[in-house]
Amino acid sequence: MENLTVVGKPVTRIDADEKVTGEAVYGYDLVLPNMLYGKVLFSSNAHAKIKRIDTEKAKRHPGVVAVVTGKDAPWIHGESIRDKPFLAQDKVRYIGEPVAAVAAVDEDTAEAAVRLIEVEYEDLPVYTSPEDAARPDAVAIHENFASYRKMAFITPGAGPNVSEHFKLRTGDVEQGFREADIVLEERYTVPIIQHAAIEPHSAHAQVDPASGRVTIWVANDAPFRALHEISEALDMPKENIRFINPLQGGGFGSKGGLKLEPIAVALAYQTNGRPVRVKFNREETFISTLTRHGAIVQVKTGVKKSGAITARAMTIYWNGGAYAEKSPTVCIRGSLPAPGPYRIPNVKVDGYAVYTNLPVAGSYRGYGIPQGAWAVEQHTDELARRVGMDPLAFRLQNVFVEGDVAYWGEELHSVGLKETLQKAAEAIEWGKTVDALPGSRVKGLKIGKGLACIQKPTRSPTTSSAGVIVNAKGDVSVLAGTVEIGQGCNTILSQIAAEELKMPMEKVRTAPLDTDVIPYDASTTSSRSTYHMGNAVKGAAIDAREKLAALAAPMLEGKKEELAFADGKIFLKHHPEMSLTVAEVVRRKLGAEGTVRGEASYTYQLAKDLDLETGHSDNASAFYMYATQAAIVAVDEETGRARLLKMSAAHDVGKAINPLNCAAQIEGGLAMGIGSALHEHLVIDQNGKVRNPSFLDYHLVTALDLPEMIPIIVECPEPQGPYGAKGLGEPGLAPTPAAIGNAVADAIGARVYDLPLSPERIFWVIQQKKKGKAA
Amino acid sequence: MKKKIQITLNGKKTDLEVPSHRLLLDLLRDEIGLTGTKEGCGTGDCGACTVLLNGKAVNSCLIFSGELDGADIVTIEGLKIGPELHPVQRAFVQDGGVQCGYCTSGMLMMSKALLDENPDPSEEDIRFAISGNLCRCTGYAKIVKAVQDAGRELRARR
Repeated sequence: MENLTVVGKPVTRIDADEKVTGEAVYGYDLVLPNMLYGKVLFSSNAHAKIKRIDTEKAKRHPGVVAVVTGKDAPWIHGESIRDKPFLAQDKVRYIGEPVAAVAAVDEDTAEAAVRLIEVEYEDLPVYTSPEDAARPDAVAIHENFASYRKMAFITPGAGPNVSEHFKLRTGDVEQGFREADIVLEERYTVPIIQHAAIEPHSAHAQVDPASGRVTIWVANDAPFRALHEISEALDMPKENIRFINPLQGGGFGSKGGLKLEPIAVALAYQTNGRPVRVKFNREETFISTLTRHGAIVQVKTGVKKSGAITARAMTIYWNGGAYAEKSPTVCIRGSLPAPGPYRIPNVKVDGYAVYTNLPVAGSYRGYGIPQGAWAVEQHTDELARRVGMDPLAFRLQNVFVEGDVAYWGEELHSVGLKETLQKAAEAIEWGKTVDALPGSRVKGLKIGKGLACIQKPTRSPTTSSAGVIVNAKGDVSVLAGTVEIGQGCNTILSQIAAEELKMPMEKVRTAPLDTDVIPYDASTTSSRSTYHMGNAVKGAAIDAREKLAALAAPMLEGKKEELAFADGKIFLKHHPEMSLTVAEVVRRKLGAEGTVRGEASYTYQLAKDLDLETGHSDNASAFYMYATQAAIVAVDEETGRARLLKMSAAHDVGKAINPLNCAAQIEGGLAMGIGSALHEHLVIDQNGKVRNPSFLDYHLVTALDLPEMIPIIVECPEPQGPYGAKGLGEPGLAPTPAAIGNAVADAIGARVYDLPLSPERIFWVIQQKKKGKAA
Repeated sequence: MKKKIQITLNGKKTDLEVPSHRLLLDLLRDEIGLTGTKEGCGTGDCGACTVLLNGKAVNSCLIFSGELDGADIVTIEGLKIGPELHPVQRAFVQDGGVQCGYCTSGMLMMSKALLDENPDPSEEDIRFAISGNLCRCTGYAKIVKAVQDAGRELRARR
């Protein structure tokens, strides 16, 4: 590879200064001139007909400017299935569904007016379990599901509440089970959890009465997709809608799609041009934004005594909540690789995305991979144990390697999985027994080690476009629709532009995100940005460089091909003393206000769409990420408490554009994964009510809950990625709970099948084992 | 009911007339326009709104404005030393202690309060001090390192 000056270096974040001084303005901070304050009335019933809504008292309340219900906003939106009203229409489907909203001169007034709205409900049967809701004789949560507009790939299931039934069919699993020496069937569950970004949700909207133009200010992770969804719902041309992205205080998947945007738009249509802000507090964010799918994962595997896997059959129920949102695609992209990164000749998977009367589930860091991994990676340890193999050796024998054809029909390349397994294991001294906790006075501690690995696809096919502008001062502006959600994209993309133009980092900035001026990008999701937008920015910078070279060639009395770039200058390769700064080149030719603009677009194309009957694809993903996590835990047998002593995480990132940022992403993902392993669980009762909608009762990991974490970067280059890069945002979380689960099982000699690994749950498994009942 | 109070805010005497029940967090963000102090929960559980009140770190979402007459308050906007970043701010930048940045203000104010009291904290001291400040992005490791590095820098200056 060429000599890189900025790419591959641990550059500090370009947005850190404004964040440590409090100058950065987030969506939640934004105040617009003449702004009104919106508040929402949420449904108190999980599944009910709306018999009557009376908003008269609220409308008469002094200071109230607008009160809206579903009747005033007769619009329906939805990413893959158009099923979700801006505000409830005729019925409610979960506790927390927005039913009515008020815009008033201040927040207190809006809140008081919301309390004056009366709603009368007639209850319907409530479904909280996806298995119950998926039954063919279940009551339909969406009576008109059949007539909803759906994307072409949607394959509804047999029951009225199954929005998607994904099928993978490879070989003959029954034959595979017959060939096996051992067949093991297990059932694992994953609870509903929440993203819990520290910034709660907000959206601002304004409708210009003269032009009808709609402007939305929101920290959305996919502004172009959100714009498309609003445009479809309002049946309005896209050019009449504008999204402006203030800074986002964390998202992890929660801040895509449409959440508060429709409420803000519904209000803004009634305020004669005044902008409206809708903000959710923490409790409202818990009950009415987005969750991660709870899942029931059944897995059955046949294995030979040699360790060869002969067949695997899986059934996965994804608890989608009241509206489809991203459930169909989470179901497809989570179920497809759920059998794990292993060579298996016979595979059958049935994934069901199911409507229930719970808060809406959607994208969450890992997009369906963590649920499958919790089951399959523990199941893998059980298989290894039964054939008498070490879990690491069993994996090394069975995992995908370069050139393997995966069970969905794709030939795999750039597979760094084995190296991640070896390095993560090495970091916790795999194979070496830890007898006691050094320095501990606690008796009865059992120490165990465990590991787990994953393969994660990225959303494909998608497009990213970018612009790079160089002005007559030599400042470089990167125009990219990638949203800075904390992952560091603005730094990474600036590094790429700086590298291609050989400009110093401090000359490069990213432009604010406004869909009126920024080129199209599919979304800031699925760990896709470094690869897709990285390629687009690289192309745009090269385009700008070519244009600069064309301008500079006559000035330096040479040919374009004879020029080189370094340190902000353009020079003749064979006469380096003949040089001009980039700034001078632009100024001389185009004047002091002149600019040179480069542009490029990158699209990853699929050769063929996913086959809906078999789930097969020649290239399901632009690239695959590979990761292994390994854990050492100490379990107190008296209390059942599992304490993490150490965790390592080895990630194949292709190429680390910024090693400091890579380590930060891995550590953050690990911490989130540890939280989901040990503490997190959105507790919802049988009536569909969230019982712990606060940070007091919903336990995020604190600085005291975490062990020593060892991030390890593996670089198995992806030929199509910029400088060989893949993605990294999501895999830090995905294998973490299973690695800890395997370590706990190693420690206590029995397995826990359900998350989280709470002391109570572990304690009862230990008691069962003592009675001789546990696995 | 409105009450007249005088506070010292980031070193400046400031006269205010505010409803007694207005929370310090809302006073700072909505009435004075200092939005560097963040709201994450409004119930004292996340620490994003941490400010220094008479030198002690507090959750500004749990303090009524009516109690503040004569108080000395420092927010993130007052952390710089002249035009220079405070060592703890610089360490957060250098060590990668910032990601989305939403918890950063509160985390920095808590770290400053710790270092003012104990310029040589152990890792355990730091983790204990910031255990009421939730961060969803970083996994805390780089934040802990930044506070250690800032402590070292501050000790060298003495």
